[in-house]
Amino acid sequence: MGVLVFYPTIMTFSYSLKEMKLTSPEDTDFVGLSNYADVLTSDSFQYSLQNTLFLLAVVVVLTTVLGFGVALLLNVDTKISGLLMALAILPWALPPIVNGIIWRFIFHPGYGFMNKLLIGLHITDEPVMWLTDRWLLLLIVAIVVAWRSIPFCAIVCLSGLHAIPEELYEAARIDGGNRIAVFRYITAPLMMPFIGIGITSASITAINIFDEIVALAGYKDLGKNLLIESYLTTFSFLDFGRGSALTYVIMLMAAVLGIFYLKSLNREVEF
Amino acid sequence: MKKKISPLYWVAVLLFLVLTVGPFVWAFSISVTPEYEMFKNTMNMFPKEITWDNYLALFDSVSQQHIRLFRGLENSLKAVACTLVIGIPVAAITAYTLSRMEFKGKKIIKNAILITMVIPVFATIIPLYRMFSAMQMLNSTFWLSMVYASSFLPMSIWLMDNYFSTVPRELEEAALVDGCGRLRIFFRIILPVSYPIICASMLIMFLSAWSQFQIPLILASNIDTKPVSIVASEFMTKDTVLYGITAAAGMLIILPPAVAALVFRKLLVRGMTGGSIKG
Repeated sequence: MGVLVFYPTIMTFSYSLKEMKLTSPEDTDFVGLSNYADVLTSDSFQYSLQNTLFLLAVVVVLTTVLGFGVALLLNVDTKISGLLMALAILPWALPPIVNGIIWRFIFHPGYGFMNKLLIGLHITDEPVMWLTDRWLLLLIVAIVVAWRSIPFCAIVCLSGLHAIPEELYEAARIDGGNRIAVFRYITAPLMMPFIGIGITSASITAINIFDEIVALAGYKDLGKNLLIESYLTTFSFLDFGRGSALTYVIMLMAAVLGIFYLKSLNREVEF
Repeated sequence: MKKKISPLYWVAVLLFLVLTVGPFVWAFSISVTPEYEMFKNTMNMFPKEITWDNYLALFDSVSQQHIRLFRGLENSLKAVACTLVIGIPVAAITAYTLSRMEFKGKKIIKNAILITMVIPVFATIIPLYRMFSAMQMLNSTFWLSMVYASSFLPMSIWLMDNYFSTVPRELEEAALVDGCGRLRIFFRIILPVSYPIICASMLIMFLSAWSQFQIPLILASNIDTKPVSIVASEFMTKDTVLYGITAAAGMLIILPPAVAALVFRKLLVRGMTGGSIKG
């Protein structure tokens, strides 16, 4: 693990400080932070950063809110709750690339489900080009990614709901608390640690989106986030130095979130 | 205490079903739609005629698509099997060592393992690529699986460590007194009682390895090693016209993980609520 994780992580940092283009392999001078300076000031970085931040915000909000909603739904004990649970896990088990492909069928301008629906209901006459407008595309990517990250969030929240002792609810009922008060003063605060896990894992997922963008938009500039930008810089333009610097910028973002994640995982929940 | 179920519940269930199952149904419907009907400008949501041609083509042993898809499936299975064979024993032994033995630097090792859980793969891939290409390790199922295993290990170790620490120590102490060695204790006492978490870890590892796209794209994109996820994306870009086939291939690729998730969902939930993540 040391060889395959820690060593490369350190090497990436050392690459990021060097001039390192495969197009001119002899020239590997130490250039200090200039790769970082180049990366951070480039327009293409700004563009991808905006995309990443947009995806991050939308994915986290959708995943957490809907994940909690699904958990509440699964928490109701009925005859079909076992079946619902089984279905709820499905999107999580999908390979992300296939997830992207499936949703491409829904948003395809020609035979996609959404256009057929909209035209069928006479909401629009012209097919909507879902995947050619920057923000619309990003919104769709965010929805698609949220769709596969909701199950995990829901199951974490569900395990939280199970952990709240029934006596607390009974006590509240005896004291005459109505549903909203029960939710506000019992469910919500006790669920915070679990929602914390949901939020942080959703944000790590959101920063690392790659497959869905490839499936929905290809390696084009329109929908690229920082990860795609880093992939293209490294493996298409063969600039390992700048690619490594970009990677480190992404890693710093992920690390900040990761620390929150580890904290929320390790926090003991007591009632 | 059972509460009365409100109509609101059923509305929510309906919405949930449409949003969760809908995309699968749609992809399936595309996969059985005849090519000529796909682009007809109809209001019909679903095809009037159903065709199994796309599936037949994928199962026809001489077709291009069959060869590519099944090569990919085979490569994926190999990589998954290899990852499990490497990953699970290492994870179990490491977790057991961490949860039972006291030694210097244990805390540091534990923290280091946890930290790697949040290092994105991309932070390691550039040097790995250079290392692999310098040492002729590119396009090797074994080395690809080593990379998978090392990136999934932290989570498995963490899950198992949590589980082992709930196994009462008295069991082992009794065995120690009776003169059992550490290894025998591990195989005779720990493994039999912790099979649920081991199975859960295997499942999560299987699903994660099956899903990989980015790592093999860079480290194993050769025809002999590239997994089915890459093949799927190629159906999308190379055969832009053949949507039906792409959808059918997608359905086949989903099948193994979906079946695994459905059959073993109780184990999965147990594994996931151990606090796991899937990258």
